[in-house]
Amino acid sequence: MNLDFSQIVPYIPFMLQGIWVTIKFVFVSILIGLILGTILALFKITNNPVLKGFANAYTSIFRGTPLILQLMIIYYATPQLIGYDIPTFLSAILAFGLNSGAYVSEIIRAGILAVDKGQVEAAEALGIPYRTMMIHIILPQAVKNILPALMNEFITLTKESAIVSTIGYLDLMRRAQIVGADIYRNFEPLLFAGVIYWVMVFILTKLGSALERRLRASD
Amino acid sequence: MIKTENLTKSFGKNMVLKNINVTINKGEVVAVIGPSGSGKSTFLRCLNLLEKPTSGKVYINGREITDGRVNIMEVRKQIGMVFQQFNLFPHMTVLENVTFAPQKVNKVPAEEAKKVAKELLAKVGLTDKENAYPSQLSGGQKQRVAIARALAMKPEIMLFDEPTSALDPEMVKEVLDVVKDLAETGMTMVIVTHEMNFAKEVADRILFIDGGIIVEDAEPEKFFSAPESERAKDFLSKIL
Ligand SMILES: Nc1ncnc2c1ncn2[C@@H]1O[C@H](COP(=O)(O)OP(=O)(O)OP(=O)(O)O)[C@@H](O)[C@H]1O
Ligand SMILES: [Mg+2]
Repeated sequence: MNLDFSQIVPYIPFMLQGIWVTIKFVFVSILIGLILGTILALFKITNNPVLKGFANAYTSIFRGTPLILQLMIIYYATPQLIGYDIPTFLSAILAFGLNSGAYVSEIIRAGILAVDKGQVEAAEALGIPYRTMMIHIILPQAVKNILPALMNEFITLTKESAIVSTIGYLDLMRRAQIVGADIYRNFEPLLFAGVIYWVMVFILTKLGSALERRLRASD
Repeated sequence: MIKTENLTKSFGKNMVLKNINVTINKGEVVAVIGPSGSGKSTFLRCLNLLEKPTSGKVYINGREITDGRVNIMEVRKQIGMVFQQFNLFPHMTVLENVTFAPQKVNKVPAEEAKKVAKELLAKVGLTDKENAYPSQLSGGQKQRVAIARALAMKPEIMLFDEPTSALDPEMVKEVLDVVKDLAETGMTMVIVTHEMNFAKEVADRILFIDGGIIVEDAEPEKFFSAPESERAKDFLSKIL
């Protein structure tokens, strides 16, 4: 076996910077996804057919097409259609944020619907108005269903974030490729990047189970 | 006072209540009995519009609540409801369960709501459980909290949908005793129940529902000793 890790040593700071780049864009994407997903979820549970139809169509499109295609369309079509040279960072957070919004909206919708119907009835029978019921009775219970699933979504997002390397965004993955090209050895930098992704996901997973334990303890 | 006029409810093609005409006077305690699926719960739920009648009218204290212009939230405040499955708010303590609606809906100040809640919890024998969460209570205790929660809104009418059906046998009595005490205070009550002895003892009147129709409307003495209809006789022979 012909393995030589000594050659990547000078590149380690360069690659480690990729962690920050990846975290930054994943974090912003998650925020966009959360806000968008909450709004879409509320659309889905209303009786307004227009809002409902919009949210369902949105979800169907973003979940029904490959994320890499959405990313490419945003990155390549924007300059072509409106003449704006969209930066890679903006393309990345748009694609991931818009895509994540679709998944998050389903998670939140399902979490709300999973709350026992008796809770709504009890609130209605007491004359509690819809808004008050949502804020104080339904959502606090829905959060327990939602948080673990959201954590999974964030983990997926972190891993999938590597595809932004395809549009040249200098994330961890892209840096591993650059180093590989520089030293004419691909395996070592890729392995190094793989370990870093694994550690990030491992930390998120641990955070997730700690969160879940806290939630269960409060039952 | 509760009054229904030709109250009818269908779920799709399934007509569950058929032209129910009934008047329940102030202070009356009415037990609703009948076979499973006969429409007892649906009838009860039409009285506070948890279920929207397909046609017909419901009056509460002389006011037609099925009129689209009536604010149903206002009406529900005057009607307490107790469910088979308790439906306590699991993320709130016992005290919070009881004080939440008075504070949020009736804008009762926190201190006042607390005071009333404590009195009610004492009345249902749960003073020591104020700070417990519903998951820490037995079924019978949960149902007593649910009764206190409904009473905290100071309703004029109380509806009970099989309040003891989800309970272990040894807990039935503690709940029925609370309901019985309440009946003696002159509260107007409609109780769907399978507890025949309780119905006989507490109710002023029995409504026997079968197939979405009130088949018999009689005093307990008469209903249990000499039911008129074949269906009631059949029902009683099966359960007594
Ligand atoms: N939300 C609903 N949608 C469709 N059908 C319903 C609904 N609620 C009740 N039904 C039907 O209406 C009929 C009467 O139901 P209801 O719950 O009023 O009966 P019940 O007398 O309370 O029975 P039980 O003693 O089992 O509680 C049943 O056939 C039931 O399947
Ligand atoms: Mg029922």
